[in-house]
Amino acid sequence: MRASHLLVASTLSVGALAYVAGSPASPIIGAAAMQQSAVARAAIQVTPPREKDSVRFAIIGDTGTGTPSQYQIGEQLSMARQMFPFDFVIMLGDNIYGSERPQDFLNKFEKPYKALLDAKVPFYAALGNHDDPTQRYYKPFNMNGERFYTFTKGAARFFALDSNYMDQAQLKWLEEQLSRATDRWKIAYFHHPLYSSGEKHGSEIDLRTQVEPLFMKYGVDVVFAGHEHFYERIKPQNGIYYFIEGGSAKLRKGDIARGPLTAAGFDTDFTYMLAELGKDAMQFQVLARTGKPIDSGSLPLTAEPKRAEADKPSSR
Amino acid sequence: MVRTLLVLGLSVFSLGVAAQQKAPVNALAQEMVDFHKRIDAYMKVRDEATKDLPDVKETGDPSKISAREKALGQAIAKTRVAAKPGDVFGEEMSAYLKTALAEDWKSRTPSDRKALFEELPRGIKLAVNQPYPTALPLVSVPAKLLARLPMLPETLEYRLIDRYFLLRDRDANLIVDVLSNVYPTRDR
Repeated sequence: MRASHLLVASTLSVGALAYVAGSPASPIIGAAAMQQSAVARAAIQVTPPREKDSVRFAIIGDTGTGTPSQYQIGEQLSMARQMFPFDFVIMLGDNIYGSERPQDFLNKFEKPYKALLDAKVPFYAALGNHDDPTQRYYKPFNMNGERFYTFTKGAARFFALDSNYMDQAQLKWLEEQLSRATDRWKIAYFHHPLYSSGEKHGSEIDLRTQVEPLFMKYGVDVVFAGHEHFYERIKPQNGIYYFIEGGSAKLRKGDIARGPLTAAGFDTDFTYMLAELGKDAMQFQVLARTGKPIDSGSLPLTAEPKRAEADKPSSR
Repeated sequence: MVRTLLVLGLSVFSLGVAAQQKAPVNALAQEMVDFHKRIDAYMKVRDEATKDLPDVKETGDPSKISAREKALGQAIAKTRVAAKPGDVFGEEMSAYLKTALAEDWKSRTPSDRKALFEELPRGIKLAVNQPYPTALPLVSVPAKLLARLPMLPETLEYRLIDRYFLLRDRDANLIVDVLSNVYPTRDR
C-alpha cells in the first residue's frame, strides 16, 4: 500500500457535542467533551485510494448508541474522507439502539454523521437485532422500504441482507439476485457474522448453512458483518473474505478468543473501515478512534474458483 | 386357509400401520391449510382495519414512521379486541410449533444454547394485541428453525422473546398471537 498520510483535525470544533452513555439525549460539555476533542485532535493515518475509478466506501457497524464514541468515529470518518474520498457508507446493523423515537434518529444517526450527510454521502443500512424493521422506511438509510435489497456502485454489486430473519422468501430473492449479477465484485453485508472468534456470540452457524452455499455458488467475494463489538478479519473461508466491524460505537473489550479463524483482530478501542474495490483487488484499512491504523491489506479478487464451481451443472 | 388368513391378517395389519403412519401427515397437512386460512383471515381484518390509513412511504421524518406504526397497531387491535392466545396458531399448529422449537433446541450445542439465552430478554410479560416492546432487541429467529415453519406474508413474522414464541405484525409492531413456555427455563 502507499505511504499513509497524516491528517490533523485542527479545524474540529472543540465544543463538539458529547453525550453521557445511558442518557443520549442530554448533551453535556465537560470532561467527556474535553476527552472527545482530545481524541478528535489526534492525527489520523489514512492511506489514499490506489486506483482512479475504483469503488470507495466506508464500513461501520453497531453504531446507534448516541454516545461520545459514535460521535468520535463520525468525526474520524469525515476527516478520513479528505484523504480517502469514499462515496458512500454501509451500515452493518444496530443502527439505532434502544428507543426509536424521532430524537433517537437525530442523536444516534443524524448528528454523529452530520458532516457526511451534509456532504451528501449516502448511507446504506442493514438491519440488526436492535433495529425495528420499520427503519426500512427511513429515507437516509436508503433501504427503499425493503428489509433486504441490492444496489450497484461501479463494478460492484452490494447485497444488504436481513440476518435477523432469513426466511425462505429472502433466500429465494437472494439466489435470484445473485444468479443474475454479472458484476466484477459481489459484496454481501448483514448483521450476524457467519464466522467469528467472539466469546460472547461466536459464529452464526445456522445462518451460515443457509447463505454460504449461495455465496460460494454465485461468487460472492467479500462479506461484512457486525454484531460482535470488535473488529476481526477472518482467514478466507471457501474462497470468501469475511470481516467483522461491529465496534464503531460499542466495544466489548477482550472478547476475541484468537483462534484458527482469526487473521487479525482488535478489541481494545472503537474502529471503522475504509475499502476500495479496484480492478483486481480490494484495498482495505481499519482505523481506531485515535486515528491509528490497526489493520490494512490488499486482497486479490479470487472469485474464479467459486465461479468455476458455480458453472458446474447444478443439482437443483 | 391358514395361509389366506395369515395374508389377510398381514394386509389388515399393514393397512392399519399405514393408516397410523399416514394419519398424522394428513392431519398436519390439513392443519397447515387451516393455519394459512387463519392467516388469510387476519390479513383480511388487517386490510379492512387499515384501509383508510396512508400508505407507508420512505420518509426522512421518523415521527411519520412511528405515527403510522402506532396507528396501524391501534386500528388492528381495535378490531380484534376479543383475540386470545392460540386464535391464529390454533391448537394443532401450536403443538407442531412447540415440537419444532423443542427439537431445534435439542439440536443445539451447549454454547449455541447459551448464546441464544444471552440474546433473549428475560422477565417479559406479553399478551396478544399489545405492541412489541420496541426498546428490546428483536432476537433473531434461527434460520434452520425458520426453514421448518410455514411461510408467512411479508408483513408477518415469527419472533422469539424470553420463553415466548410470537406472531408479530411487522409494520404495526403488534403481537398477533403468542405461545408461552416454548423454551426451557435458564437453570436447565
